[in-house]
Amino acid sequence: MSFDHIANNKRTRTDPFPFDPAATTRDDVLDLASLKAFEELQSDDGSDLIIELIDLYLVDAPQQILAIRKAVAITQWEVLRRAAHNLKGSSSTLGVNQVAVICEELEATNSSDSSEVVEALVQVLDYKFAKARQALTTERQRRLS
Amino acid sequence: METFRMTLKETTPKRVLIADDDPVMRHLVTTIVKQQDCEVVLANDGRDAYRILQSDSQFTAAILDMTMPFLEGLDLIRYMRSERRLMRIPIMIITAQQDIKLMASSFAAGATAFLPKPFTPEQLQSAIRMLIGNRKPTRRAA
Repeated sequence: MSFDHIANNKRTRTDPFPFDPAATTRDDVLDLASLKAFEELQSDDGSDLIIELIDLYLVDAPQQILAIRKAVAITQWEVLRRAAHNLKGSSSTLGVNQVAVICEELEATNSSDSSEVVEALVQVLDYKFAKARQALTTERQRRLS
Repeated sequence: METFRMTLKETTPKRVLIADDDPVMRHLVTTIVKQQDCEVVLANDGRDAYRILQSDSQFTAAILDMTMPFLEGLDLIRYMRSERRLMRIPIMIITAQQDIKLMASSFAAGATAFLPKPFTPEQLQSAIRMLIGNRKPTRRAA
């Protein structure tokens, strides 16, 4: 069973992102258009806001994923929901859509969900974040060069 | 006297309280608020914001994340609306929750604006300009 299969089956539980303005690009690991939209907010001081946001995200997201993993291990659903909620917010804003979708599913986790399903979702999250990190790092390098 | 009042108003910097436990969102909102020539006071969570508000009420506006550790955005709105020195400060709630009931609760508690994530840079800019009273854009979209 593929990661995408697990994610897509789980995704049917809710209707994610009913207000998502970029629904057609939701399946991208990184929606570059969403990220690059922040170019219009660049400061005049020579700093690159997008690089700053990528750097902050790449530091914070692994911490949130670690918190999610720890919460799953001890079945602390409230902690899991909070960490998933945090990661969903920054991910969706920066166009890291697949991570945001998995976080939305994790945020909806409750005691009636089997631990196997939740653990599978965390594995999908790891996989999707690894791909997103690669895409973000590539974009970061491109902007620096 | 009127001239003095106007001068005082023009020279007093606008100050905005930003409370968010997400460093990405904190940086993004801070960047836009500073572009509006406002001074920013940062809080890393709800309790931090509450402590700041206990001793400082000189804010043009407050931008609060809904879901924060210790004290949530809704708790802070209720606190601010119950304190005479804070009750006139406009408050914007930012949240990743797409819940119409939450929006209704925020407005019922006294929020001035409600911005759900994900949002575009333009939406965030417009909302912040309206909140702090800078309706004319200081930067144009590319």
